[in-house]
Amino acid sequence: MINCLLIKITNNSRGLPVRNYRTLNATELMIGRSAECNIHLADPRIAMHHAVIKELEDGHLYVVSINGEIEVDGAMLQNIKLIPGKQIMIGPYQLNVEPAPPDVNLSVSLTLVNPLSDDYQDLKARTHEPLPNAFKFKWRLSMWLIAFISLVFLVLPLAQNLIPQLQSSMSELPFGFDRVWSSGRMSTAHRHFGSQCFNCHQAPLKKVSDKACVNCHQDTAPHIADPELQKRSLKAAHRFIGSMRCAECHQEHKAPHPLARQDNNMCIKCHGAIRTIDPETKLPNIRDFEKKHPDFELSFKTGPGPKDIERIPQSNQSKLIEKSGLKFPHDQHIGKVQGPNGIWDVRELACTSCHQAEGKEMRFKALSYKNNCSTCHTSELQIGAKDNKLTLPHGEEQNMFNALKLYAPKEFDRYSDQLKNNGCAYCHEVQPAKTGDKLPWSVMPLRLNNDWLAKAQFNHAAHRTQQCTSCHKVEASKSSADVAIPNRQSCLLCHSGNTPKHKRIASSCMSCHTFHNAHQGYDLITGAKVETKDVDILSTLPTVTEKK
Amino acid sequence: MQQSNMFDYKNYRYFKIAVVIILIAFAAFLFFEPAVGHYGGSWLGYTLGTISALMVLWMTWYGIRKRRYRGTGATQGWLSAHIYLGTALTVFVTLHSGFHFGLNIHTLAYALLLIVVISGFFGNYTYMIYPRKMTENMGEDSLDGLLLRIAEADKLARKIALLMPDEINNTVLRACRETSIGLSLIDQLSGFQPNCPSAKAVQELTVLGQNLAVDQRKVYRELYSIMVRRESLVKRARQDLMYRARLGIWLYLHVPFTVGLLVAMLAHIVAVFVYW
Repeated sequence: MINCLLIKITNNSRGLPVRNYRTLNATELMIGRSAECNIHLADPRIAMHHAVIKELEDGHLYVVSINGEIEVDGAMLQNIKLIPGKQIMIGPYQLNVEPAPPDVNLSVSLTLVNPLSDDYQDLKARTHEPLPNAFKFKWRLSMWLIAFISLVFLVLPLAQNLIPQLQSSMSELPFGFDRVWSSGRMSTAHRHFGSQCFNCHQAPLKKVSDKACVNCHQDTAPHIADPELQKRSLKAAHRFIGSMRCAECHQEHKAPHPLARQDNNMCIKCHGAIRTIDPETKLPNIRDFEKKHPDFELSFKTGPGPKDIERIPQSNQSKLIEKSGLKFPHDQHIGKVQGPNGIWDVRELACTSCHQAEGKEMRFKALSYKNNCSTCHTSELQIGAKDNKLTLPHGEEQNMFNALKLYAPKEFDRYSDQLKNNGCAYCHEVQPAKTGDKLPWSVMPLRLNNDWLAKAQFNHAAHRTQQCTSCHKVEASKSSADVAIPNRQSCLLCHSGNTPKHKRIASSCMSCHTFHNAHQGYDLITGAKVETKDVDILSTLPTVTEKK
Repeated sequence: MQQSNMFDYKNYRYFKIAVVIILIAFAAFLFFEPAVGHYGGSWLGYTLGTISALMVLWMTWYGIRKRRYRGTGATQGWLSAHIYLGTALTVFVTLHSGFHFGLNIHTLAYALLLIVVISGFFGNYTYMIYPRKMTENMGEDSLDGLLLRIAEADKLARKIALLMPDEINNTVLRACRETSIGLSLIDQLSGFQPNCPSAKAVQELTVLGQNLAVDQRKVYRELYSIMVRRESLVKRARQDLMYRARLGIWLYLHVPFTVGLLVAMLAHIVAVFVYW
């Protein structure tokens, strides 16, 4: 039987402790939230039956935990011996074992040391204002953005431009601080040094000068072969553009767009009204391949030299006669033809049997008797009676006449006439001897044309989806004098002018022409170099003096 | 009749202006194409760029203008122009770029502008949608009023739970002490507390209530209805906080990135003219 003095300590309205005495008599003292407990603690943090005070086997009084937790000095225990002076925590309550007065065997005091906080204030503390510290966040983010952007994108690149020491110490690095200023992709050719801006942009606030280009392009020839034309056309261009730096036409940072300008405007500015540039020119005005472009002029060879060329417009049909020196009927050499071994030897000939493409642009291999004709025709010419045949080699006339003189001196004149009228003349044009010639007659020199459209560039490879005969009408050609180069109208079947048309490809000037044959100019003026003194010379040209 | 708002200010005056200038810009873009394609350095590019830069400065001025209670024109008109011309500005800048993008200051400035404009669009959207929803959610209550009612329900629920078994008591106590309303930014924006103790308490109570003694049933029913009411109050409070957070969150980006844009624009212009 426990006779217990229970002292409940509460605070009065002025916050002073008030002791409330009660004596309890029971075999066990139940502590809990439940109303039937001897020590009733109405707090939600206390279990219904939290703990019990009872005498254990050793005869001492203990507090034993049931459903709740009890602790001494922060240690959670199952049962705690009640000795005077001990402080035990039961949930939010503190239980002190006090010295027992003589008539009781236990005296404990109970104090609520952790009262439940006020619900509203508590909930308010767990409810935050919307977007706390918004101003601070915005301020900080702004400052960070300003610091980052101005450092990386403004201060460092500018520093690199303004401090020469920094520039030189960074020149070996793969790229400088000013890389972030790049306005677009570099062209492939320039990319390997292009990430260091100062390689081209040599002075701040100035446009890229020609000196920067000539650092590498030392052997660049004047772009136009004819010096007169060069002077005239660059002066004219200077007038239109305002300056004549390389970069006006070769614009960088536009990859994958080609480095050189490809537009018609540059061409049309002069060629659209060509007489304002050169009053004496014979060139017509050109604006558009479809609407304003002259007919093609074909180049005919007139002599053995590379410059013996006559250009005849295709509209002048009567003069379009090729004098190649050969008799070659195309119509007999296309489709099914009879081979040399009799009527059973039928061969199928196509254009490509003789005209064999070569190279990326599909230019054609030069034709030769040995490679092309002799696959069907005999490589040697036989003359004379069946039993006494004389074999003549294909080649120089002199060799042939020598052979005749050596092997058939008596028959020389007869054989010579025979060859003149049928043998050699079967394929070749024959010309009579002129005064002073040693030979009685000779074959015409061959003038096989291989560039009909000398002022333009035709790329067969770009047209390989087409049949040869859709442009070159040779199936009915009976004479090698016929010219089978398509004219402008046949180009216009698939191509249009500057603007695309229904099922026709837009074709600009640069589709067929290059800038004043710039690259051919380089070939012609061998060893021509731009001298340093000539760089930027065009911007110092005197103002254009035109004869009016 | 409803008063005019920032969208239909003066019979859509700024909307019409924006449409017209966008059409002019597009027409110019289509008709004047440089030979090498569109880019910022053509004369059209410079024109569009200059107009865009001036417009950015003017848009930024709105931030200062709206804090002044004097000045030309109604602030509502300024806001209307800010919204519509800001949208037009995006088109201008895109045409100015000629659709060339790369890893450089120029595209950075463009990206910052897009962030500013898109966050502005979101702000616009919130101001169109949320004020009405807030009124629907709160009625005549205020957030403090809701909190007081939740606290009251807490007190009552706890008092009733004292008589209940330990599990129920613990559940109610946890719900009362651990429920928070918009503690973190993410909670505020989502309007939702993961594993909300209030919602959990209601769920658990349905299960725990099944094995009660008959005399506790009546009290239990009272407790349950209090907890359910309490949960709906908590939800409404969270919703209110969510709307208010969303009404303000877009400015977290709109304002600092505008400041960043101004610096990036300066760097962009300096870069172009230093490497002329």
